[in-house]
Amino acid sequence: MNYATTPIQTTGQIALPAWRSRLLFVLLLAGLATLLVRAVYLQGINNDFLQQKGDARYGRIVDIHAHRGKITDRNGEPLAVSTPVESVWASPADVEVTTKQIIQLASIVGLTPEEVKSRLRDTSREFVYLKRQLPPEQAARVVKLGIPGVSLQREYRRYYPGGDVTSHLIGFTDVDDNGQEGIELALQAQLGGKAGSQQVIKDRRGYIVEDVASLRAPKAGGDVVLSIDSKIQSLAYREIKQAVERNRAKAGSIVVLDAKTGEVLALANWPSFNPNNRAKPSVGVLRNRSVTDLFEPGSTMKPFTVAAALEAGKVKPGTVINTAGGEFTVNGRTIHDTHPERSLTVGQVIQRSSNVGTARIALGLSPEVFWRSLNESGFGLATGCEFPGEATGKLRDYKTWRPIEQATMSYGNGISVNLLQLARAYTVFANSGELKTITLLKQETPTVGVKVFSDVTAQAVRDMMETVVRPGGTAPLAQITGYRVAGKTGTAHKLENGKYVDRYVASFVGMAPASDPRLIVAVMVNEPGGRDYYGGLVAAPVFSSVMGSSLRILNVPNDAPLDNVIMAPGEVIGEEV
Amino acid sequence: MFSAVLSAPRRTVAEYDSVLVWIITALLAIGLVMVYSASIATAEAGKYTGHQATYYLMRHGIFIMIGIAAGVIAFQVPTQMWQKYAPYLFLIGVVLLVLVLIPGIGRAVNGSRRWISLFVVNLQPSELMKLFAVLYAADYAVRKGAVKDHLLEPFLPMFGVMALVGALLLLEPDMGAFVVICAIAMGTLWLGGFNLKIFGGLVVLLPLAFAALIFSSEYRMQRVVGFMDPWSDPYGKGYQLSHALIAFGRGEWLGVGLGGSVEKLFYLPEAHTDFLLAVIAEELGLFGVCTVILLFGWLIVRAFAIGRQAAMADRLFAALVAQGIAVWLGVQAMINIGVNMGVLPTKGLTLPFLSFGGSGVVVNLMAVAVLLRIDYENRRVARGLPI
Repeated sequence: MNYATTPIQTTGQIALPAWRSRLLFVLLLAGLATLLVRAVYLQGINNDFLQQKGDARYGRIVDIHAHRGKITDRNGEPLAVSTPVESVWASPADVEVTTKQIIQLASIVGLTPEEVKSRLRDTSREFVYLKRQLPPEQAARVVKLGIPGVSLQREYRRYYPGGDVTSHLIGFTDVDDNGQEGIELALQAQLGGKAGSQQVIKDRRGYIVEDVASLRAPKAGGDVVLSIDSKIQSLAYREIKQAVERNRAKAGSIVVLDAKTGEVLALANWPSFNPNNRAKPSVGVLRNRSVTDLFEPGSTMKPFTVAAALEAGKVKPGTVINTAGGEFTVNGRTIHDTHPERSLTVGQVIQRSSNVGTARIALGLSPEVFWRSLNESGFGLATGCEFPGEATGKLRDYKTWRPIEQATMSYGNGISVNLLQLARAYTVFANSGELKTITLLKQETPTVGVKVFSDVTAQAVRDMMETVVRPGGTAPLAQITGYRVAGKTGTAHKLENGKYVDRYVASFVGMAPASDPRLIVAVMVNEPGGRDYYGGLVAAPVFSSVMGSSLRILNVPNDAPLDNVIMAPGEVIGEEV
Repeated sequence: MFSAVLSAPRRTVAEYDSVLVWIITALLAIGLVMVYSASIATAEAGKYTGHQATYYLMRHGIFIMIGIAAGVIAFQVPTQMWQKYAPYLFLIGVVLLVLVLIPGIGRAVNGSRRWISLFVVNLQPSELMKLFAVLYAADYAVRKGAVKDHLLEPFLPMFGVMALVGALLLLEPDMGAFVVICAIAMGTLWLGGFNLKIFGGLVVLLPLAFAALIFSSEYRMQRVVGFMDPWSDPYGKGYQLSHALIAFGRGEWLGVGLGGSVEKLFYLPEAHTDFLLAVIAEELGLFGVCTVILLFGWLIVRAFAIGRQAAMADRLFAALVAQGIAVWLGVQAMINIGVNMGVLPTKGLTLPFLSFGGSGVVVNLMAVAVLLRIDYENRRVARGLPI
């Protein structure tokens, strides 16, 4: 075989020169050797550059989902939790289905076969969602169909155990897990956490084929503990719902506050919605009316007028006010009482909700003193609960007040509040004159309030409000077995296009036990459509039921004998509206 | 594949080149494993393959079997017979190359009309033509040996025939086969001792003609520049090459491991055919690439050795065929490897014995059978036995 030394073959008619063979042979091997050198260069020397190019092509940084924190009530009952769900997606170019499979797929994901077909039609797209956020069991059925090109993607979906009971308060998230309403929106930063990131290698179709390195671990969202008490919340919700239905009203709201701490124990509205259903109702139903809607408080303002006058030393509880037979004309406008009296004591003005009496008391105050007192009680200010979309009530600057305006404002016309704001204002009477800060989050230590009225004033007004629920007052239906109640009714004409119309807002705000108030409950029913529209008839029973049950749930000691409820014969006294 | 040889009585001297058999076995084995590895993802994802992961593996395996069977048959054919029928085989090849161009008979894939559909399998005439060109060129060189010292007389007819074949191939188009067949023809004429001046002239003229061809057309210029700098347009013209190079870079010395290639996951087109070496480079590293190159080097060494032995025994046709096969397989392997490594413009040539491609594997194995037959006859001649 050592042909290198073989002589040139010259036999036959041609010769095969050995040197030509050798040269060709050497050239071929030299070519292969050159390629070997090239391989060494590519793989051993220049590989950093090439790998860097490779990373640019298929190295990707992907987000790692940060688990959203859960929302619980004050006792740890879950109100919003994230559960794993699967989104079904397809790569239309790779999908191969029979008509039968399309029908099966469509029925699982809840689309029509035509909709599925149209989504799969655009074969230039590499990623099309067929259905987002399917429960794992349904997703498993999609997998079972075994359609090439159809895959699942793990996502998390919010689940709200409280459903329609807590929907306005908690709000909801969008499909990408961002808070859209309520607490979910207000505390997005805390709940949402921080997505982590990971360096991966993806194949050309976008599937992750290799984890290279974790760049940043995901930071799970923090849990939020609300001040809400689930039991009281569901109770309040049930009662307001029933009241709205019973009175054929448009809407209703209820707020339950811990009088000592300013914590919101319940906050509910009707109409409501179930946030677990993806189809969202109209904006009207989504609205958390107790925070976002303003109304004229009507007579529930009167205790503040009286308190301002008491604090200013203008009147005493026993001072007799000339109610002039139920008519009082200011700036050419006459204020009426339905139950005309020649005169009433300050206490009776509250008990019977006399407009004339309240107006006279108010006009005894300088606008500035009256305004300051209302302002310090939180009127015209945000509640500080930081609920998204809160509507701040209006309290006009006293410098623009005319006497008639000051007079009507004293009984709650020409001023607007939201229900939470009104409930908060009543903390001054429950806490020896201290206005508490409102919070939706559970507090370990009681919040420090701002002193608005003296102990004496607060106690005096509370005593007057206790007479409201007694026979002769406007709200005997607010009485509760075993507890003393202090409260005030409100029945206000609704204002439409600057004119008062014969539709009403019935309200009741009260506290119990009156000897040392533990809870404040504010009830508002919008446009009762039945025969009754007085706060004392529409809102007071809701108050009584919710307050009574809540006190028992919280094991608050009784401060009255169990036979304390006294119902006077005949009709409940109606108030001037 | 060599049952006829294996069944012969055992002797102290082997009757066939077992080293060559092992080289080919090794190349086939590497090819089979790597075709499977490179194609598994695309096969699973494709509609065309019915989502069978083993789609290409099965077919490649079957083609190797067919190739071995064809090789066993080819081995039975004496060299003399090959020589006698070489012109006719060449003519059949030309006819097939014409047929493939006729729509309805020839099947077009990606704009190239290269296949004739034979019910279950597709025949690629250009692959067959490579073997026939080796036989024809060797026969031609032997027949025209008497006039080899003349300048153009022996050269021109061959040139005319090759120009015809070249034109047919460029009509498909199959630039890769054209280059390989040119190399076979030139190599055989060179080995056959044809006039030095003509080769000298060609060595000067061909590069000039080639350069003129390139500079005359913006398109060809672009292609050449594209392969020289794939990073200037890595998502367009340089797409395939840049991914092949990335595969080499990722492989480093020992590779990312069998099955670990990312490039084969839909990034690198033709991963199981023309760009199989890039996947080998990524998964088995420089070690794998060196193994493949060294096996091809060894194959060339064996083929030239067999050719020289035939020449010593005065079997000129056999000698030219053996070396022609070496030129064919060597040049085709080099071009394919060069394309994978970005030193040659993309051609559309498979890596012999390794790449997926039915006709290619079958014809390559037939060529090896012819080579083994020549060696077998050499050994018999050396022992004074009748062929």
